[in-house]
Amino acid sequence: MFIRFAGHSFEPLASGALYWRDENMLLVADLHLEKMSSFARRGQMLPPYDTGLTLRRLERDIIETGAATLVALGDSFHRDEGTASLQDMDRARLDGLMERCEWIWLSGNHDPAPHMLGGRCLAQFAHRGLVLRHEPQRAAEGLIAGHLHPAARVLMNGRSIRRGCFVHDSRLMVMPAYGVSTGNLNILSPAFMGLFAWSEIRVTMMGRDRLYTVSSKRLVGG
Amino acid sequence: MRYPLELHPTIAAWFAGKGWAPRQHQLDVLESWQAGASALLIAPTGAGKTLAGFLPTLTDLIETPHDGLHTLYISPLKALAVDVARNLTIPIGEMGLKMRVETRTGDTPAARRQRQRFDPPSILLTTPEQIALLLSHPDAVQLFGSLKRIVLDELHALVTSKRGELLSLAIARIAVLAPQMRITALSATVARPDLLREWIALPAPQAPAHLLKATGGAPPELSILDTEDRLPWAGHSAAWAVPALYETIKRHRTTLLFVNTRSQAEMLFQNLWAMNEDMLAIALHHGSLSVEQRRKVESAMVRGDLKAVVCTSTLDLGIDWGDVDLVVQVGAPKGSSRMLQRIGRANHRLDEPSKALLVPSNRFEVLECEAAVEAVAENHQDSEDPTTGGYDVLAQHVLGRACAGPFDADDLFAEVTRAWPYRELPRSQFDRILDFVATGGYALRAYERYARLRRTPEGLWRIANPQTAQQYRLNVGTIIEEPMVRIRLVRGRGFRKGATSGPISRGGRVLGEMEEYFFTTIVPGDTFMFGGEIVAFEGMHENEAFVSRAQATNPKIPSYMGGKFPLSTYLADRVRKMLATPEDWRALPDQVAGWLHLQRDFSVLPGRESLLVETFPRETHNYLVCYPFEGRLAHQTLGMLLTRRLERARARPLGFVASEYALAIWGLGDLSALIRTGRLSLDELFSEDMLGDDLEAWLDESALMKRTFRNCAIIAGLIERRHPGKEKTGRQITMSADLIYDVLYAHEPDHILIQATRRDAARGLLDIERLGECLKRIRKHIVHKPLDRISPLAVPVMLEIGKEPIFGEARESAMADAADELMREALGG
Repeated sequence: MFIRFAGHSFEPLASGALYWRDENMLLVADLHLEKMSSFARRGQMLPPYDTGLTLRRLERDIIETGAATLVALGDSFHRDEGTASLQDMDRARLDGLMERCEWIWLSGNHDPAPHMLGGRCLAQFAHRGLVLRHEPQRAAEGLIAGHLHPAARVLMNGRSIRRGCFVHDSRLMVMPAYGVSTGNLNILSPAFMGLFAWSEIRVTMMGRDRLYTVSSKRLVGG
Repeated sequence: MRYPLELHPTIAAWFAGKGWAPRQHQLDVLESWQAGASALLIAPTGAGKTLAGFLPTLTDLIETPHDGLHTLYISPLKALAVDVARNLTIPIGEMGLKMRVETRTGDTPAARRQRQRFDPPSILLTTPEQIALLLSHPDAVQLFGSLKRIVLDELHALVTSKRGELLSLAIARIAVLAPQMRITALSATVARPDLLREWIALPAPQAPAHLLKATGGAPPELSILDTEDRLPWAGHSAAWAVPALYETIKRHRTTLLFVNTRSQAEMLFQNLWAMNEDMLAIALHHGSLSVEQRRKVESAMVRGDLKAVVCTSTLDLGIDWGDVDLVVQVGAPKGSSRMLQRIGRANHRLDEPSKALLVPSNRFEVLECEAAVEAVAENHQDSEDPTTGGYDVLAQHVLGRACAGPFDADDLFAEVTRAWPYRELPRSQFDRILDFVATGGYALRAYERYARLRRTPEGLWRIANPQTAQQYRLNVGTIIEEPMVRIRLVRGRGFRKGATSGPISRGGRVLGEMEEYFFTTIVPGDTFMFGGEIVAFEGMHENEAFVSRAQATNPKIPSYMGGKFPLSTYLADRVRKMLATPEDWRALPDQVAGWLHLQRDFSVLPGRESLLVETFPRETHNYLVCYPFEGRLAHQTLGMLLTRRLERARARPLGFVASEYALAIWGLGDLSALIRTGRLSLDELFSEDMLGDDLEAWLDESALMKRTFRNCAIIAGLIERRHPGKEKTGRQITMSADLIYDVLYAHEPDHILIQATRRDAARGLLDIERLGECLKRIRKHIVHKPLDRISPLAVPVMLEIGKEPIFGEARESAMADAADELMREALGG
């Protein structure tokens, strides 16, 4: 499956990553690494395994696509301190991934500060006429962003399903959140209002092993 | 006559002054107490249980002055605690006694609760959650040290829930703080009173525990609503019976109408009012109505202002209403103990029979009602046994114990195993739970530095910081509310198809609350029933749902979620026996007997010990219908597992629907032919090993497991329901609980909380235990009947298709269909 956006062709993956084959570049948004462990300091001992699971998912995508560059579109860490609280095992896996390809970390509202993990830390990244950054905005042209964790709910013959999704019009694409510990938000909710030109909106939902482009007529709230 | 000698003169004089004589069971309780024993009193409602429970306390306090707390009364309902306090203060005043009686509930002002801890009354009436809170303070040692008695009310209702498990742990703790303490438990009649006796005996093994029974009580008068009207095949509205019910209400002083679900209550209430030309005072009472609304109904009931109340299990327990002279059960009675309990809500005078009327809402329910009438006539009990201990509840208790002061793990383990639900707890599990409380219990030791419990140099466990205790106290208890949303009535905006989220006017009257879950199953424009009227869903904002008055005469969404209580195994067995014994059909209405005759002629009747499986084609699909009679939950689980297996057998199943009595699966493959040619073996299909790998595979994806996990995680303290200063909304908890489950299950499927979730699911939402028993019973006893069309017995469950949720692969395929549709559109199709 392909998504044509702003003059380029992209391949969305069922994991929520976006592969830009012409540039051999893999895009992921909102990893939220170390989210669960950030609760432990307040006495809530959530399972410390989310980082490992997200990194393994990412490892699979990097190996399968053979991408040379990885761009993380912000909120890669749930908190700035997350870069320091990585378990040894997770740190080793992340180091291994950074050896496989070049990493570009874009800053997000959860992780505004640059870090020393390796790769480049940027506020945004412009490439081949497109802009990659964390937060979406209406005015830009050819912007790929994350931040909103979009999800769609469709209703067909009395059955309904809600999944994370890619959503775009001719100017803006918002990617789904990639981290295993991330929740999501229906694209009909007010946070998305005014971002897209509704008449040209395209919604690509993440299925179990493949993606589905669904009609915006079928979208429902909730 | 020996009793006048045993009663203290003050009390004897009070009885004499009233012209009453103490009842034998009241004296029996006193005698047990004086012999130094605990006691379980089994008595029907109206038997003077309150006085029986407190007679020893009054006697003891008159004879021996006592400093500090003497008696603790614990009830499942705070309203009951308040009511009993009132009923107790009156005789105390009349006897001229000086003793303080106080209640302590969530509604008690903080200042009084604080004071009660260092200046307690002689008699404190409270709930299990308050006991857990009191025990979590270091001064619990002084407070409970003087305690001589615990009175447990409605014990039969408590022991089947996690609240009962928490209570059992609290009692085991109190028994250590106050070794002289004895328990008097009051219970309705149960199937196995011995278990309840053990339940109260175990915490104080040095003292005997007597089993006492109140005799007498007139047997109830129970009948089934007779009708010439046509009984529906399926459905639960009992609309056919409304005119007859209305006349019945008119003929009685006050009628309580019990139904099994909230939506049935709504439907019946609306139907009764639609014909209420006499403007009878008929009220509605269920768990989703606002608290004020419910209190209003209850006090109108106490004043005797109401002619009838339509209610759900919210009124199963509660304070006595002397004026109720008829109880009506609309819909399946589910179990004979439950039925007896509800009948007991009528006429609280012991010597007069209680009157009850059963109203089946469809033909299958006629059979269930007949079975219940027979069971009640024989006074047969089929109540649930006390539950055994949940790990989540124990985790909460361990943290609470640490909040009260440092403890030794060996001592605590010994104490915990004196709580009946935990009597067989292995030490290794206890240690894992302790580890969970301290650091989360993960194989990856990631959180040592954030530990909530630490070891002292002497090897005792203590809390790491005071915030831990503060958080514990805000999260205490085992009652997990479903995430609810408020429902507000707004002006409709005239729902247009295809319209997306335009602004809706906010504000407007609050009608009540409803499970948030329901709103994930409907879309704007759908109509449903709430608060006795039909409303249209307009949209949601944060935790409020907006609805408008709808013009429709029939709601589009029946919102029937099925009975909360499955048909008891005992009644199910009676129903199967009745089906298999045509001589007994004479007692049934003609139309029901006729239906069964048709089934016998056309197909075969389900046997008592076997399982009937019918297969037939209908339109484009092939159907398999079986009749296990094990309740909707067990049937749903069976349906999930069978469709997996049929898939492997290449029978290409598409979906299934489960009712209380039967299960229907449909698909593309010709099942009759597959079975005839030996390519599909029913014995293998229904073999017990489906509870092995297939179950595991399915649990991986089951939403039911996630919902169960959420409750366990909250009770165990992994997820907080409240934080000092800020409330988490239900939605946030639900979202994160699903993710936590996925992460934990993927990485550590053997974690103590996953174990806790499995145990709960097995007996709760999935009812695996019951399914296992069923599969064992029918092994090698499957009767297959291939048919060329639908059988008479299959009609009711087939009618559920389209009304009940359909399961199977349908969800993922909804997305595929939506995608296909887009493709056709793109191709100009």
